[in-house]
Amino acid sequence: MKNLFLLVFSVLLTTSLFAQTPANRISIQGKVTDTTGAVLPGSNVMLLMTTDSSLVTFGRTNDAGMFSLKNVKRGSYILKISYVGFIPYDKLLDTGDQPNKDLGPLKLKPIAKELFEVVVKTARAPLTIKGDTIEYNAASFKVPPGSTVEDLLRRLPGMQIDQDGNIKAQGEDVKRVTVDGKTFFGSDPKAATKNLSAEAISKVQVFSDKTEQAKLTGVEDGKKEKTLNLQLKDGFKKGSFGKLTAGVGSDLRPNSDGTARTELKGNYNRFDDKRQFSVIGMGNNTNQTGLSFDDYQDFRGSNSFNWNDDADFGFSSGSRFISFGGDDDDNLGIPIGGGSGRGYSNNAAAGINYNYDTKKTKFSSSYYYSQTRQTIDAVRKSQTFLENSSFNRTDSSSQLNFNNSHRVSLRFQQELDSMQTLVILSNSRFSKGNTNLNSWQQLYRLSALSTRTTINNFGNTDAFGTANSVVYRSKFKKKGRNLALSATYQVNLNDAEMNLNSINEFFQATNVNDQLRIIRQLQTTDTKRSQYKISALYLEPLSKKFFWESFYNFSLRNDVVDRDVMDRGESGQETRNNVLSRYYENNYLFNRLGTGLRYSNKGVNLLVGAAGQQFKLAGEYAPDQTAATFNKINRTFTNVIPNVSFNYSMKGNKYLRFSYDVGIQLPSTRDLQPVIDNTNPLYITEGNPDLLPTLRHQLSGGYNMFNPGTFTNLYFSLNYTYNVNQIVYNQIVDPTTLITRTKPANISGGQNVGSYIGFGFPLKKTKANFNIYSNINYGKNLTNINGQLNETNTSSIGIGPRLDLTPNDKITIYANANWNISNTKYSISTGQNQTIYNFFYGGEANVKLPLGFYLNTTLNYRVYKNDRFGFNQHIPIWNSSLYTILGKAKKAEIRFTAYDMLNRNLAVSQSAFTNSVSQERVQTLSRYFLVSFTYNMRGVQAKMKRQNFF
Amino acid sequence: MKKYLLIPLFFLAIQVSAQQQQTEGIVYYNYTQYWTKIIKRLTFLSKEEKDRSAMTWKNEDGYTQKMKLFFSPSQSLYSYNNDEIEGAGYSWRKDEYSIYRNFDQDKKFDVIEMLGKVYIVDDSLHTPKWKISNQIKDIAGFICMKATMDDPVRGQKITVWFAQDIPVGAGPERYFGLPGMILGIDMNEGDVIIEATKVEFKPVANELKQPKAKGKKIKDSDYDTIISNHIKESMKASRNPFWAIRY
Repeated sequence: MKNLFLLVFSVLLTTSLFAQTPANRISIQGKVTDTTGAVLPGSNVMLLMTTDSSLVTFGRTNDAGMFSLKNVKRGSYILKISYVGFIPYDKLLDTGDQPNKDLGPLKLKPIAKELFEVVVKTARAPLTIKGDTIEYNAASFKVPPGSTVEDLLRRLPGMQIDQDGNIKAQGEDVKRVTVDGKTFFGSDPKAATKNLSAEAISKVQVFSDKTEQAKLTGVEDGKKEKTLNLQLKDGFKKGSFGKLTAGVGSDLRPNSDGTARTELKGNYNRFDDKRQFSVIGMGNNTNQTGLSFDDYQDFRGSNSFNWNDDADFGFSSGSRFISFGGDDDDNLGIPIGGGSGRGYSNNAAAGINYNYDTKKTKFSSSYYYSQTRQTIDAVRKSQTFLENSSFNRTDSSSQLNFNNSHRVSLRFQQELDSMQTLVILSNSRFSKGNTNLNSWQQLYRLSALSTRTTINNFGNTDAFGTANSVVYRSKFKKKGRNLALSATYQVNLNDAEMNLNSINEFFQATNVNDQLRIIRQLQTTDTKRSQYKISALYLEPLSKKFFWESFYNFSLRNDVVDRDVMDRGESGQETRNNVLSRYYENNYLFNRLGTGLRYSNKGVNLLVGAAGQQFKLAGEYAPDQTAATFNKINRTFTNVIPNVSFNYSMKGNKYLRFSYDVGIQLPSTRDLQPVIDNTNPLYITEGNPDLLPTLRHQLSGGYNMFNPGTFTNLYFSLNYTYNVNQIVYNQIVDPTTLITRTKPANISGGQNVGSYIGFGFPLKKTKANFNIYSNINYGKNLTNINGQLNETNTSSIGIGPRLDLTPNDKITIYANANWNISNTKYSISTGQNQTIYNFFYGGEANVKLPLGFYLNTTLNYRVYKNDRFGFNQHIPIWNSSLYTILGKAKKAEIRFTAYDMLNRNLAVSQSAFTNSVSQERVQTLSRYFLVSFTYNMRGVQAKMKRQNFF
Repeated sequence: MKKYLLIPLFFLAIQVSAQQQQTEGIVYYNYTQYWTKIIKRLTFLSKEEKDRSAMTWKNEDGYTQKMKLFFSPSQSLYSYNNDEIEGAGYSWRKDEYSIYRNFDQDKKFDVIEMLGKVYIVDDSLHTPKWKISNQIKDIAGFICMKATMDDPVRGQKITVWFAQDIPVGAGPERYFGLPGMILGIDMNEGDVIIEATKVEFKPVANELKQPKAKGKKIKDSDYDTIISNHIKESMKASRNPFWAIRY
């Protein structure tokens, strides 16, 4: 048998050699034995090139320990023989002129048994044998941080350290310790091992060397002594990075108040392979409220995004959820983005983050403080349609808001064993805010002034929110079986105080007493919302292709609102207002049990399932908690919801999906509480404690295709939604005063259809890309206006082409456009049907200029149009920046930026709601110039191209 | 001296008994790809961007696929190991990938789906140029020796560990041609790590057949051209080329 293998191998690797003339070819024979002369059958015999050790041919010894390498080209080679448990044999070999070369017996030396068994077999450490030298790879032997080399040596098999630190290697005393081949700290071998840090060591080599005496005298005394050499790492995985940007500039406007524009931001990080510590800070008066995505990632490091942290289980869609920044619903996460907002804002933020990650334990903590002071001067116009009439509203307001918040976030993950994982999450926020609003509103019927209001409100808020979850996941011996359990506790406290001052004049009132209403009130509202949630999910494989999944959700939400409203007389006396004061308590209990069957095989995934769910609403309210009688609310709502989803990934990166599911959304605390909010006396809102949750029947399908060879892509999707118990805001408009009162209510029948198609392909590969998308949407929304059902039908179409030109390293150009047209029809007032146009044209160019300068320029041109209102606003925003990278190390950048060079910035929005159309214009930070300097420890690179996903 | 006498005999005993049928069977491998390391190879990214991705995704790095290799002295067939349930009841489609080698006939038949197409590399073997070095390491209970090669097409340094005790010149992925079975591969200093988890010796003649597949037939040289063009183009277009080809 063995001869056969030998033959196969010789044939296999020497076939190419056979073809040539055998004249200059020879055969090499030999016999492999151990040091005692016992033969070693099955040894690997390899012939390597002397230049680069590349394999020329190989063979194997037979039962008699004999080998023969045939058809070997004449020349010099390295003969290498290996046999498990022996030190590989290396010999320089010259074939000579004879056609046959017999090497005779070749003796292999055994590796010490202890070393072989322990180091190679058990520690699985790559072990290098270079002649008599045994080399340990230090990274394979784990020592705690801060350990010395001595601690490391204790872990090395075959090494002994006594109490005094004397070292023995394979039973012999180590007489000498060298570092990178040099004698360290004189002749005491312990000096190096006791003082050097283990982290700095890459390799430990043990060998027998001539004595120091022999080396000095050059007289070979035949004695050898054990020497230990420590090889240092080139620079171990540990480091720091940071970035600082400072900018200063001016608006350069005669009417400007002369404040300078400033921006400052920086971060610093220290890390090693387990820990990361980072600090971040920023401050500006250029409307940058949140962190940039990149800065957020640098700040949070390995905890930026977390998979599978969602504690609410349901029908799984297969894809893993990514969550970051904590619980987004309650805004507990660190704010990201939010640049170039409305109005003018001064912002400051600072944070500190620490991550500790090992394979089994992951811990992350962060603290983040942020504050914003914002001024908003806005002019708003709207038209509201009633059954047979309409009225117009104008509002000019000035608002000053201040907000600060402290956020603390903790995450701990522990692998309990190879099957079980525990995750503990805690995110909290403490915030304070105050707002000062001055507003002047006028309501017109036709062109006659009907109502006029002057508002001056001042309010304070203290809020605290915390969300804490424990998620336990377990796998089982049976592959595919999964269990997940979770528990969550959330609390939101909000204490608000509001000073209301308004003068309301009603010119249509017939009664003199109704012509003027003055509101002077102090409103204190304390809200507490707590929620307890428990979820369980179990997945059982029925076969390789079929899975059965089940889940259970429990949730109890408790809302308590205590609102005291005091009317203040002219002389300052306070009397309680029993209409507006309210105490309200509510429990919303939710139970859901669901089950489904899943088929998954070769890219086809089909889930069919159903869940039964029940909502129980139990609440009570009264003008005050001491009231004798309370209004009671008791409602129960039970239903069964089906769920179907189908995903199919096909050959050639094609992907097809279809799903039908029913989404549920609990009413918000704000919508539920039976509290009358008269902050704006002309637009009074009230909650509804009887609200049921909204059910959304959603049908959706889609097809994607991407060809990575041609870079062509196609996306198509279609969605349909039908709402049951949709929460809408019914309106009652007082015919005399035009005061609007809204109250949420459940209504069924609202629908939405949406479609999207996108197509992209290269015009010229790597140089020019073209993309185009289009979406068409149709929506039907229902509301009651003065008791009459109004149906608002909105249809819209959007088209957007995009062209990316990246011809070379010197210039890149990006151009895109979006055209959106939306048409709104009202059933109660068809004469008001109208069309809104929002157009956008964008262009960006990056140019590499001579002398190491770079130019980036962008132009965004927006058009807002509504013919019925004669509204036609064009806003071109042109920004440019010129920058150069400084220094040989390319770590600094100086940049000159001009924002809104045409000085045209204005925040504009227009929209059509259920029964109204409105526009808003906000005075917003416009033209300014800024010179900024950036220092980045990791280097600065010119950004010529937009970032793709990578 | 007595001690030294015993050891070789001890190893010899294992060696002889084990060697009887160590030429036919199945090797099970874990193929693990480290994306943040691969991202570091992308020429169009700045150091800051590379570091950022490494830092952000360090706990999520390493995507493992289960693979298996059928082998006999004359043939080998390498493909996905679909014996076990993967993931939690969700099946992702895998690109077609089966690597067939016939050492007796000096023939390869590699079915590779890449760049949205199925290619069949139908060519003679073309043994890579291996360099042998002196390191040893244990993988799945086998003592392996180290060999290296440079892949000029992808610009990768390939380090493999081959078992001296399994005298079959096969290996995972497209690698072969060493005096023993390749049980471990380190592609480009840790970008991809392939390691055998288990070796089973048993007759596999039924499984060891050239697979039937439809696709575009190409030669080794065409394959190299497609790969190197794709890498060049993708780097130029600032895309990660390795989304669309196997690393």
